[in-house]
Amino acid sequence: MSRVKITEYRAKKLILGDSYTGVSIHNGKIALPKSGRFVAKVDQGIKKRFKQGLVAVDVPSTAISKSVSLWRKKGFSHFLVEPYVPHEESEEQYLSLERVRTGIRILHASAGGIDIEAHPELVKTYLINPALPYMIVPGIPEKFLKHLVEVFEKNFFSFLEINPLVVRGDEVYILDAAVLVDSAGIFFVKNGWSEDDIVEGKARHIAEEKVQALQKTTPASLKLTILHPDGGLFFLLSGGGGSIVIADEAELNGVGRSIGNYGEYSGGPTREETHLYAREVIQLLLNSPAKKKALVIAGGIANFTDIKSTFRGIVDALSEYAGILRRKGVKVFVRRGGPHEKEGLLYMEEYLKKEKLFVSVYGSEAVITSAVDDAIAFIKK
Amino acid sequence: MKKRIDKISNGVNILELTRSGRVRVLVIGNHSGIIQSMLDFDFLSGKDIPSVLGIVAGNRKAEKYFFGTKEILLPCYKNIQIASEVLGSKVDWMLNLQSGRRTFESTVSFFDFFPKSLGAHIFAENVPESHATELISRFGKKYFIVGPSGVGLLVPNALKLGAIGGVDAVQIKSGALTSAGNIAVGSTSGGMTNELIHAVARAGKRLSFAIAIGGDRFPVVSLTQIFALAEADSQTEGFVYFGELGGVDEYEIIELIKAKKFTKPLVAYIAGIIDEAFDEHVQFGHAKALVQTMDESARAKREALRSVGVIAPDTFPQFLDALQKLPGGAYTAEEMDIEPLQGRQKSILSTRKVLDIDEGRIFVKGKKLLKGKENAFVDATLGALLGKPVHSPVTRAFTEAVFEMLIDHGGNVSGAVNTMITARAGKDLVSSLASGLLTVGPRFGGAINEAARLWILGVVSQKTGLEFVAEKAKAGELILGIGHKKYRVGLPDPRVKALAEFATLLKKHPHYDFARSVEKATTSKNGKLILNIDGAIAALLLDILSECEGMSERELQELADAEFFNAFFVIPRSVGFIAHFMEQKKNDEGLFRLPDELLFVREEAPKKGKKK
Repeated sequence: MSRVKITEYRAKKLILGDSYTGVSIHNGKIALPKSGRFVAKVDQGIKKRFKQGLVAVDVPSTAISKSVSLWRKKGFSHFLVEPYVPHEESEEQYLSLERVRTGIRILHASAGGIDIEAHPELVKTYLINPALPYMIVPGIPEKFLKHLVEVFEKNFFSFLEINPLVVRGDEVYILDAAVLVDSAGIFFVKNGWSEDDIVEGKARHIAEEKVQALQKTTPASLKLTILHPDGGLFFLLSGGGGSIVIADEAELNGVGRSIGNYGEYSGGPTREETHLYAREVIQLLLNSPAKKKALVIAGGIANFTDIKSTFRGIVDALSEYAGILRRKGVKVFVRRGGPHEKEGLLYMEEYLKKEKLFVSVYGSEAVITSAVDDAIAFIKK
Repeated sequence: MKKRIDKISNGVNILELTRSGRVRVLVIGNHSGIIQSMLDFDFLSGKDIPSVLGIVAGNRKAEKYFFGTKEILLPCYKNIQIASEVLGSKVDWMLNLQSGRRTFESTVSFFDFFPKSLGAHIFAENVPESHATELISRFGKKYFIVGPSGVGLLVPNALKLGAIGGVDAVQIKSGALTSAGNIAVGSTSGGMTNELIHAVARAGKRLSFAIAIGGDRFPVVSLTQIFALAEADSQTEGFVYFGELGGVDEYEIIELIKAKKFTKPLVAYIAGIIDEAFDEHVQFGHAKALVQTMDESARAKREALRSVGVIAPDTFPQFLDALQKLPGGAYTAEEMDIEPLQGRQKSILSTRKVLDIDEGRIFVKGKKLLKGKENAFVDATLGALLGKPVHSPVTRAFTEAVFEMLIDHGGNVSGAVNTMITARAGKDLVSSLASGLLTVGPRFGGAINEAARLWILGVVSQKTGLEFVAEKAKAGELILGIGHKKYRVGLPDPRVKALAEFATLLKKHPHYDFARSVEKATTSKNGKLILNIDGAIAALLLDILSECEGMSERELQELADAEFFNAFFVIPRSVGFIAHFMEQKKNDEGLFRLPDELLFVREEAPKKGKKK
């Protein structure tokens, strides 16, 4: 399970229902009433929007399309426009709800705004759980808080932050809201948020984009982050924890600057999925201008991921580029354990020897860092 | 209940109870690799019986697995309730392998039906946070639940609950999972749990227990509880821990150490230095920053652990060296032959063993015929069909009566006609018999089984005959076992009358009573809708099997699912069909052909060129 951000538009719509008059703009023209003052902002889960100039406050409708087209040029695609609520800074409050082990933790401060972190002494903490389902929070209308908790539960929220919040009697104005939902809740949420409302982190590289797209089609876990495109050390790592240990070893040995990529394939991907994933990493390696390049195929001792079938997928990808890999003097270093380890390692070793890419192949009897240590020595030489 | 809570919260008894044999597991969902690895672990641990009692999954009745080299059938149950009816309170642990969507419901159901169990492992990775926190608040203090996510719990030589330690026999050997020692392993990463298990084995040490806490935000058994468990466990003399950046669990361990609640040697590796190579670090919302100022980076957590005396090396190889220095003798590699477990082939068919194939039998002795067993054929038939011998003379006599009664019902009935036509077309005995038998179905001969289903349904649902009939009428469904062409109220079917007397031999006959109450409802509409021979056989047979052979309603349902009741028609009627075949062969009237006067019902084809 993971916590993912949904758009501010959807968050407010879920909380306020039909009474919310904000408009979400994705593609196409903006139809707004001619009179009135508005707030327009980029709605893509970006932090510190004010500082980056991604919010336009107290503007007439005529100014909105100008702001939006400016933001579009910067590469943004989702925007939110809502009526401007004039208020005093002294009215601003801070309110957040977060799911914790023992229930839902409420944080409230009678002052809000972007400087709230500087004033932790103003923050009061409350906890609600099945034994104590409702709470009086001075300054927050009881009915509103109760409603907020209901929305929070019903929609599998993990975290909700309203900052600033303005309260006038029974009236509540949510000026800015951020919501993290529990992605595992998607099957249970009815008439709430959906896949379309989730804000995605921008892929910075075509390879990252391809792996993200591949990830969406499989229950296995495929992740790729590019660190240094000009590095000499490229990783095909498997299993979450093991991947970190191996990457740590490179960082700790002072070759952090040479690490081309980080990521993992785990959770039992098929031969084909592993093939497609490995292809992206091999292409990254080939595109790097580094003189000495090593491919590290390594991971811990798998509990149930089949070594033979995933290694077949990697060999499928290697086979596409074997000639050029050999000509560029790329070497391959392997350490892996798990089901069908012996067959998988033998298969890989024979293939690498045949293609003259072989340096070392280790199994579960060797230390997890064996292959990466060899690779570090190779690129340092 | 108070006492139980103490047991779980101080933890030690979970391990001791497990080591003393409380290891019987019910698996929810199927994952053949994991289940087989648990059976291999049991076998290689030298157990006589497998820990897995059964599987709640799908529509199958059983799944094939190996215990050693011997093939076994693990029973499958449709749902947890049925499993609890069969297994009673025998189950100690649940292994929940369902997807995260279904986990919550099945876990709650498991503890409802097995309140005396010790705990569980939940395998799924996508269990919603609110489900996890709900499980914590409902069961956290009563049961030991490992997960959601992770790979489970291992108590060497006693219990392998999940994929932990790997799923093939090679790893059971290389990880020394069947030999108990004094090192506890805890890890947030499933893969690294196995890595640590193997590292302990390579260091010549053995495990006291191992747990993969799982990478989820809210594991039911918390890291603190696991350290408390290790502290309380008399077998454990050292702890090996793998953690990652993110989260503040490690600060809880530090608190435990400061409070002297954890005093045993601890070697820890906190991974995640690589994060320093990223431009963007793990980001936290305001709330986190406001609540706690503890640094979640790998480096900070390492430093904090060191400050209370924990050995927390920088690199993994240094960590392995430190592990070497933990207490514990130098074990040598396991003497274990896993060769036979490799390359096992599942049989294609499972079948009962015919025991008396080679048994010597004597029929004639000293030129005299020995007195045979009474109803010997019926006895052997029932034994074969039910898979176990029958006990009661009533069962034998009733079967004998039905067989005798159903041998033939004259040459007019569908099956007999088909047999005869086939015989006259010049076909052989088996073809003609098959032709007749293939006619058996819902309208001819196949009604006994359907009637049995209805009577079971009626008894289980505790409906009155009137309600039942109203329901069926509303749904437009026929009630098989009711109705006759010739006989009616006032003119009873003599065969039904004869069989009905069997009811007087029984103390209770709920199925028969129900069938009669249905008849009462139907005959009030139409005098022909009486309980017919099929319905009567089904009802009485159900009552006899229930009372005289001690079968439960569930076992009767299984028989109906396997069409057992239709065998009571097919067996005797085969004799009748063969008799019809032989008669045709003897008379040899040549090919049968229908006379020309047939009713043509086909519409004339529309003329060409004309469209409707």
